Amino acid sequence: MTDRPTLDILQLTVTLRGGRKLLRDVSLKVQPGEVRALVGESGAGKSMIGKAVLGILPPNIKPTEGEILLDTHHLNAMTPVTRRRTVSKIASLIPQDPLTALNPVRKIGPQIVDPLIHIHGWSRDKARERARELLDRVQIRNTDRVLQSYPHELSGGMRQRVLIASAFAPSPRLIVADEPTTALDVTVQKQILRLIRELQQETGTAVLFVTHDMGVVAKISQRVSVLFAGRVMEDAATEDVFRNPQHPYTEALIAATPSYSDLNRSFSPVPPALIADLHAKIAAEEAAS
Amino acid sequence: MSVDVLTRPLFSVRGLCLSFPDQSRKPLFGAAPRIEVLKGLDLDIPEGRITGIVGESGSGKSTLGRVLVRLLTPDAGQVLLDGKDIAHLDEDALRPLRRDLQMIFQDPMSSLNPRHNVARIITTPMKRYGLGGSHADALAALERVGLGAAFAERYPHELSGGQRQRVGIARAIALKPRFILADEIVSGLDVSSQAQVLSLLKDLARDMGLTVAFISHDLSVIRHLCDDVIVLNLGEILESGSVEQVFDNPQSEVTKTLLDAIPLPELDPDWFD
Repeated sequence: MTDRPTLDILQLTVTLRGGRKLLRDVSLKVQPGEVRALVGESGAGKSMIGKAVLGILPPNIKPTEGEILLDTHHLNAMTPVTRRRTVSKIASLIPQDPLTALNPVRKIGPQIVDPLIHIHGWSRDKARERARELLDRVQIRNTDRVLQSYPHELSGGMRQRVLIASAFAPSPRLIVADEPTTALDVTVQKQILRLIRELQQETGTAVLFVTHDMGVVAKISQRVSVLFAGRVMEDAATEDVFRNPQHPYTEALIAATPSYSDLNRSFSPVPPALIADLHAKIAAEEAAS
Repeated sequence: MSVDVLTRPLFSVRGLCLSFPDQSRKPLFGAAPRIEVLKGLDLDIPEGRITGIVGESGSGKSTLGRVLVRLLTPDAGQVLLDGKDIAHLDEDALRPLRRDLQMIFQDPMSSLNPRHNVARIITTPMKRYGLGGSHADALAALERVGLGAAFAERYPHELSGGQRQRVGIARAIALKPRFILADEIVSGLDVSSQAQVLSLLKDLARDMGLTVAFISHDLSVIRHLCDDVIVLNLGEILESGSVEQVFDNPQSEVTKTLLDAIPLPELDPDWFD
């Protein structure tokens, strides 16, 4: 590909105070208009990658090696203040839990409009116009009522739509979607995935999509990074991953995903022997380096 | 099938109605209007089988479950447990039944006391019902859910989501109940822990002859775990039957929509259309 990637992570290592490495040598690219899924079990470090890109790691966790290139900006070389200003203009987050992500004591309207004014320097009228447009786009029918509502007055699916509208409103180059549908039931999940896909295709936004569900990976992404213990096990096109997974861990993750259509498949947890084996390999590599 | 002849219902529900007051439309004076959540349900939960209760958010599936274990009292209708109506029993009359009707919750973090260690979480209800409650009993219950003795001294925050959910199961089965209500118990877990918890529940139900009502919005999980399924929509039963019947030949649009909405782990470029 000749396109310059929107996001280019090069051998990123992220370390917990005390020295434990939570991510090790993670490299991945996201091209404009591409959805890259980050998949793995709890604790594999998939959300950590998104947080490292957005610069919202907890204070005791720091990127120690490697580079994050966001649209030609070398993020790890910047001071925290420039970094925050740069990232907030280029990238947005769709968080997992739509209730805690919205301020409970402010109306929806200002929560969408304010960042457009204060971060992106838009006029209030333009920002309001854009908020209405996006809410309309995520199929919220009574736009004016929703803008005047408080978060608790909306259902989970509605709140997630509001956050998607808010993330897409400034037309960001990159969106980090951190398990945006885990809290929703399947029919709402499908609507939300469809909205993310439509908006992403229209705007050409690159998306880093964090999930533990191989079913969601199959539907939404073009490329996948499979993570285990902070390392990338497999990086491939989604098509290839499902046709012909290269890594036994990828295969095990697919096998662990329930499917009503294929009852012959075992629907079995990732075998403990495989996990032990992977940990042993990692320990051996670390001892060697 | 011979199975149908052998299994009798543990629960028979007839004409079950339940409504909640809608506080958002309450007039300044007078009572709030009521929202009907369950609109006259008739159903059986067969003994010794796993019955899935499925539906979208707001379909009334959790409310139905909570009526079965009598955390809620219905407005009208009968809930027959072994032929005896428990729908309007008062707390004193329910107390002997509580042990038989156990529940496993969706969020194990908020349903396990953060100040108690695992052994105490498991043994407190055992002592309450005079079923022992020694440290050895706690270890035995832990072993049944595949957790080693080391877990007895741990606190909920030291456990992973899957381990917490196992502790919730251990607490329920330690009372040797007849019925377990499992309300969305795997929706917070990643796929691998999900598979572990479900196969554990299936094995325990078979070994102990438990009757289980398993509430979920995920039909893939229901298909793998359950023997029978009830599909709810807006407080009414759309269809029910064995999982084979309902999955191989879904009658209602809602069931078809629910099936279509599941992202299967396979490539399908037309899925969104």
